[in-house]
Amino acid sequence: MSIVPEQVAPEQAAPAQPAVAGPPAEPSRYSLKHPRSRIGWIRPAVWLPLVAMLAILGALWQWGAAKLPYLLPPLPSIGRSLSDDFGYYLKNAGITLGEAAAGLAISFVAAFVLAVLVSEVPVVRRAVMPIAVVLNVTPVVAIAPALVVAFGFGATPKLVITALICFFPILINTTTGLRSVPQQVLQVYRTMDASRLEMLAYVRVPNALPYLFAALRIVSPLSVIGAVVAELSASGSTGGLGTVISTASSMNNLAVVYASIFVLALMGVLVMLVITLAERRALHWHESSSSDRTK
Amino acid sequence: MKVSAIELDSARKVYGHGASAMVALSDVDLSIGPGRFVSLIGPSGCGKSTLLRLVAGLETADGGSVRVHGVTPDQACAAKLIGFVPQTPALLPWRSVLGNVTLPQRINTAAARRRERIGDLGERGAGKAPPDMLELLRRAGLGEVVHRLPAQLSGGMQQRTAIVRAFGLQPDVMLMDEPFSALDEFTRETLQDQLLDLWDELKTTVLFITHSVQEAVRLSDTVVVMAPRPGRIVDVIDIDLPRPRNQRLFEQSSFHEYEDLIRDRLHRAWRSADAA
Repeated sequence: MSIVPEQVAPEQAAPAQPAVAGPPAEPSRYSLKHPRSRIGWIRPAVWLPLVAMLAILGALWQWGAAKLPYLLPPLPSIGRSLSDDFGYYLKNAGITLGEAAAGLAISFVAAFVLAVLVSEVPVVRRAVMPIAVVLNVTPVVAIAPALVVAFGFGATPKLVITALICFFPILINTTTGLRSVPQQVLQVYRTMDASRLEMLAYVRVPNALPYLFAALRIVSPLSVIGAVVAELSASGSTGGLGTVISTASSMNNLAVVYASIFVLALMGVLVMLVITLAERRALHWHESSSSDRTK
Repeated sequence: MKVSAIELDSARKVYGHGASAMVALSDVDLSIGPGRFVSLIGPSGCGKSTLLRLVAGLETADGGSVRVHGVTPDQACAAKLIGFVPQTPALLPWRSVLGNVTLPQRINTAAARRRERIGDLGERGAGKAPPDMLELLRRAGLGEVVHRLPAQLSGGMQQRTAIVRAFGLQPDVMLMDEPFSALDEFTRETLQDQLLDLWDELKTTVLFITHSVQEAVRLSDTVVVMAPRPGRIVDVIDIDLPRPRNQRLFEQSSFHEYEDLIRDRLHRAWRSADAA
């Protein structure tokens, strides 16, 4: 991930590039890595495969729903449920999203602080990391019922479960980012006797940002999973899509179950979109967003 | 008595211990006066990088002493006496060129006070205003790219930015570890010109590691030839050529005589190392 090349490529080193202000040559516009340019979506070759695939899957679903009416609800009934009870789904989606976001936020703050401690103080690293690893390999789904017993049916177990599930990826990635500053960069600032705080603020934390966003990408769907698992485990909960699903499936109301699943998927996509936008803004300097480098 | 800018007194560095111990530097004595441009040259493994790291306070000597303007390297770093240019540009990719070269002024702001308390530097640096970084960047040919990110620059421009960053500290001692080794020859000569230009104006002491005999002769007042196993100094050669040293220097026969002399000493050092 190093931005500073170990060895400068010969064509880079050549001073042939004139020192003139103005837009730099932009080869990335034609690169194959970013077919999602604004014009791209107009061309059928771009959107047709996806639309065709969706049509095939929809047809298969309808065929399955006709054959096995007890397992799959027909698509129109799912759509009707969504449009008739739009407010109901919106309210419960809001509850689940709120739990997921709050749990993620708690997890983020805790994991970030711990990552700084772990990367700065070797003793803390040795004390904490083994426990963190064990915690990570323990299935949260297995812990969830115990946490519900401990914290009741309110919001607390949901926040704890969501925070737990998000904690480890953020901790590991942030720690890696804080510690992966190239040796020679550290040496330059060590010869200025930069304090630990200055080193963190100016060098280590910015260096960790790409790692942090990578963690957020992993963790944001996990946070929704955590919230739903918590709702499913606490069968007496008052709201949330997990509760909706467990209630509806116990009454064999399949349309509601699948409508909720659809809303959850949509929610995941929206969360991902928000993170991608935030990442573009924060990491404009980074390789991962090199496509929009023109200023 | 005048204090040396850099003073090594039987400095010693050993890596590992017991039978596998490797003597990287064996009792090295070296004294460099203020304002001198000194190059270290020698085959790989001769301890020139180790010597530089000792002076930079990045490693501590196992024996003997290392002094920078009469104080320890750590104290020198605390007072920001040292400008360090590593082999790679080591820029922060999220900061613009200007952001990279101005950051050192925000770091360790207590250094100025510490510097005043160091012997002969107090009066010399009194009322030293921070340099105009934009002007320095312009002189280094980076005036048009001050707001670009490092990744948008060529390798030569990145290395120039690293050099301006170090000069921006107004260091009393400049330590450069093969800063041009990754560049092509044409870029390298341009950067040598610009380095000499900046050095001429700011007159700091420079300790410069290089693999290139030509580069050493062109830039230096003194060339220190080192030999490996164990790392030691075998020769100190003063380069008595007029300054400013521009491209016409290459046509002079005295320039090539110095080159031949240093090559000869290097070969001898190499042979003695093989015999040992």
